[in-house]
Amino acid sequence: MIPPPDGGACVAMVGKDCVAIACDLRLGMQALTVSNNFPKIFSYGDVHLGLTGLATDVSTVSDLFRYKVNMYRLREERNISPQTMANLVSSSLYERRFGPYFVSPVIAGINQTSGKPFICGFDSIGCIDFAKDFIVSGTASDQLFGTCEGLWEPDLVSCACSGDMG
Amino acid sequence: MAALFSGAPPQGGPGYSFKQTPTMAPSGERQHGFYPYTDNGGSTLGISGADFTIMAGDTRSTSGYNINTRYAPKLFKIGGEGPDNKGARIVLSVVGFAADGDALKERLDTIVKMYKYQHGKPMSVSACAQRLSHVLYNKRFFPYYVHAILGGIDEDGKGALYSYDPVGSYEREQCRAAGAAASLIMPFLDNQVNFKNQYEPGSGTGHDLQAKVAQPLPRDTVESIVRDAFTSAVERHIEVGDGLQMMIITPNGVEETFTPLKRD
Amino acid sequence: MVYSGMGPDYRVLVDKARKVSHTGYKRVYNEYPPTRILVQDVARVMQEATQSGGVRPYGVSLLIAGWDDGIEPEAEGKDQEEHDEEKKKISGKTGGILKGGPSLYQVDPSGSYFPWKATAIGKSATSAKTFLEKRYTEGLELEDAIHIALLTLKETIEGEMNGDTVEIGIVGPPEDRLLGFEGVEGAQGPRFRKLSPQEVEDYLTNL
Repeated sequence: MIPPPDGGACVAMVGKDCVAIACDLRLGMQALTVSNNFPKIFSYGDVHLGLTGLATDVSTVSDLFRYKVNMYRLREERNISPQTMANLVSSSLYERRFGPYFVSPVIAGINQTSGKPFICGFDSIGCIDFAKDFIVSGTASDQLFGTCEGLWEPDLVSCACSGDMG
Repeated sequence: MAALFSGAPPQGGPGYSFKQTPTMAPSGERQHGFYPYTDNGGSTLGISGADFTIMAGDTRSTSGYNINTRYAPKLFKIGGEGPDNKGARIVLSVVGFAADGDALKERLDTIVKMYKYQHGKPMSVSACAQRLSHVLYNKRFFPYYVHAILGGIDEDGKGALYSYDPVGSYEREQCRAAGAAASLIMPFLDNQVNFKNQYEPGSGTGHDLQAKVAQPLPRDTVESIVRDAFTSAVERHIEVGDGLQMMIITPNGVEETFTPLKRD
Repeated sequence: MVYSGMGPDYRVLVDKARKVSHTGYKRVYNEYPPTRILVQDVARVMQEATQSGGVRPYGVSLLIAGWDDGIEPEAEGKDQEEHDEEKKKISGKTGGILKGGPSLYQVDPSGSYFPWKATAIGKSATSAKTFLEKRYTEGLELEDAIHIALLTLKETIEGEMNGDTVEIGIVGPPEDRLLGFEGVEGAQGPRFRKLSPQEVEDYLTNL
């Protein structure tokens, strides 16, 4: 019924006046590696979107948001803010409530108006998780939860934030 | 988060063995089922140092979303004298199905005590480790549903740690996490104990980076790593909590400590 | 939003504007559309009526006023503001998405729209605009703006002016004091309010 997700992991973190977002580059089916260069983070101006889950949906959804963000920029003559992007992602995913994209998106960015860092995560139907500290997603989310919960502290500086992914 | 793929709560399956009520098969017969296994949650971990081994486990026992008790030890002294295992130098931790864990502990304790009566000397950890493997494999087709970790001091006085799968496959390691939050704790341990993914600062970029080499950690450092691992696991896993039981095995004996954990 | 022309058409347009600002924006971005976006949406509705079969164009001109938060960071270089008190007023929030602040648009039945600093629509719009051109200055205070607006109306319309025949709506920065409560984090006061007949009456007597 639900297709197995292609392996992949993504993590976003808030630090002192900064955010970090990271993903692995592997594309595989269980143990079989198909590619070692399949990025899962996509940048739309000031906002960065990480997508893990079913690889075909990762491509589809990233292209869909490229379209939506470009249309937004064209209409409004401004870049989309991370918060607005979060609500756009949420409403777009919920539109597919009964036939979802099999992705778990993560957003990281700095709001250019307020200067404040912003991260959030979603489930595959758009429920937003506004976390103050970190967001993890993908097949290694348990492992990332453990490490982040153990190592995260407030006001990490940028080099510490981008520290480790196993 | 990730509602459709991961972090699945106990769904459908029986909360405990006798909860299943007889069902009607499509053909009309009443079907009775008996499920001999239950998952009682919880997590354990062990780290070996230069001259000590630390074993730890939370004391919560669960079935499904319920808490059976807030104090059910998963750490057991093995061998020594009498029912209090005076003078024991080996500790067994078991996590998974608590009843099997208790039975296994009882079996191994008897075996180690019998060894001393018959041989007139205490059993070494390496011997005990291999014996435990056999005990588990003997039930290859109706296994003890547990992830066991055995800790002690080896014949050179160094910390020794062995971990097992339910059917007795075992390995000596520096550190191991087991149980419900193993997937959360293990990568943290890889990073903090074996310095995985840590590099010497300023040693370059890309292939020039020098990996930070692991060395045996002092006891207080290890103790704080264990505490951090468990407080973190408690935050993110509902089956872990209530209390942290630790046993520190040194050549001089076993020290036992208990620290409260969050009870929510 | 105010109008001049056929009342029933205006009511329909208000409904459509409210609806489109939710379906086309708030339900997607969880925030209200910037003024220009709403104006464009309303203008599209009006334009489509000029081209579609079986319908007649909307018989109204509209004035749409709005206040935007703006996206540029605020208050850089406070010392500069102190240096030049005069400049502060002009370089403050002057409208639009980038800086934020008030903006005013006129939308015609054809669907064409224009931004204004001050304008009038309706029967005596021409004379009213000539009047406004003389009175309007950059960086007006709210009280002066109300005063000028009422003077303009008085010069150009026939009939009695009192609290029941004149309406005044104010669009401005969020007025937290109008919330009726304090201390709720993130609560924003209303950006739009209408003066009561009594308040209008007071302004009219001071004219």
